[in-house]
Amino acid sequence: MKMARGTGMLITYALGSCIGICLYDPAIKLGAMVHIMLPLNMEAGRKNTMKYADTGIRETLKQMTAKGAAHSRITAKIAGGAKMFDMGESAMGNIGQRNIESVKSVLRMEKIRILREDVGGTVARTLLFDVSNGAGCIRSYGRPDLII
Amino acid sequence: MSIKNYDQLSSLELDTLREIGSIGSGNAATALSQMLGKEVRITLPEVRIMGYNEAIDWIGGPEEITAGVLVKMRGQMGGILLAVQQLDFANLVLKCILDKTVQDYSQLIELDSSALVEVGNIMISTFISALSGLADMQIELTVPAFAVDMQGAILAVPMAEYGGQSDYIMTIGSNFVCEDKETPCRLLLSPDVRSLDFLLRKLGVSSGE
Repeated sequence: MKMARGTGMLITYALGSCIGICLYDPAIKLGAMVHIMLPLNMEAGRKNTMKYADTGIRETLKQMTAKGAAHSRITAKIAGGAKMFDMGESAMGNIGQRNIESVKSVLRMEKIRILREDVGGTVARTLLFDVSNGAGCIRSYGRPDLII
Repeated sequence: MSIKNYDQLSSLELDTLREIGSIGSGNAATALSQMLGKEVRITLPEVRIMGYNEAIDWIGGPEEITAGVLVKMRGQMGGILLAVQQLDFANLVLKCILDKTVQDYSQLIELDSSALVEVGNIMISTFISALSGLADMQIELTVPAFAVDMQGAILAVPMAEYGGQSDYIMTIGSNFVCEDKETPCRLLLSPDVRSLDFLLRKLGVSSGE
């Protein structure tokens, strides 16, 4: 998880089935980006909270409010959740989809609005987030850059 | 005591895995050599247990575009085998089989991709058949899947699959040397932890019992 205030660019590279979540409080220009890999933190006492959608988003929100963000002002932009390899019926291909569902349901429970999203599909994404204006940009292979 | 995590492996166990990597890669190199009609040698195989970021740096940056052939193992051993075919390797294969080269992956036509998948699949299958013969295990392989994209995302596939068990990825692999040129085709074997344990016990090197 990375956080910046006022100015700065947050970047997370090569999101495949992982999801990048940009959380932003526009009033104080505080932005955070968390890169999650799996939908749910199933194990107790796991130190790596940022790897999972549920604990990662909640921990990031906590750290943002500790830095002065108002929970009610925070909005989200998300990208990722692709299916890199088409493996037929295998559970592996579904990790991206499960991540998308988990991220959305956690954000819904936390009452965070998703402003823009670019999820699913089969392409990897690099996500850039400009903290000064809350604009996101997605870089992919074989696809023009997408502003979110 | 059975291992629960990759970082619990003893040096004897790591040596055994390196030997598996050596035998598997050697067989894969032979298969490649027969397909290309050229001499292929392998560099010293490595067993590495890496965090995700370290693995990405090792293979050359997250946004680098690469081709990957992925096969899943089932049966007595579960895991993922990934052949990472960087552009030099892809061109070596295309040159020998189809007598052409490409500037970048976007120029690949269906026939080219198909050749790459097949070469990847044969190398992976040879690797696994050597492993299954050595350990006397029944291993089934799925149909290969192919993707061309950022290698960070391709490498994240085995990470995400086993991310719930461990924060590390284990790779066994080596580079291939063809016509005095070292070509980075990496075969990465990422077994799940339970299967790894079973494999080491089968080979009689598990630290416990």
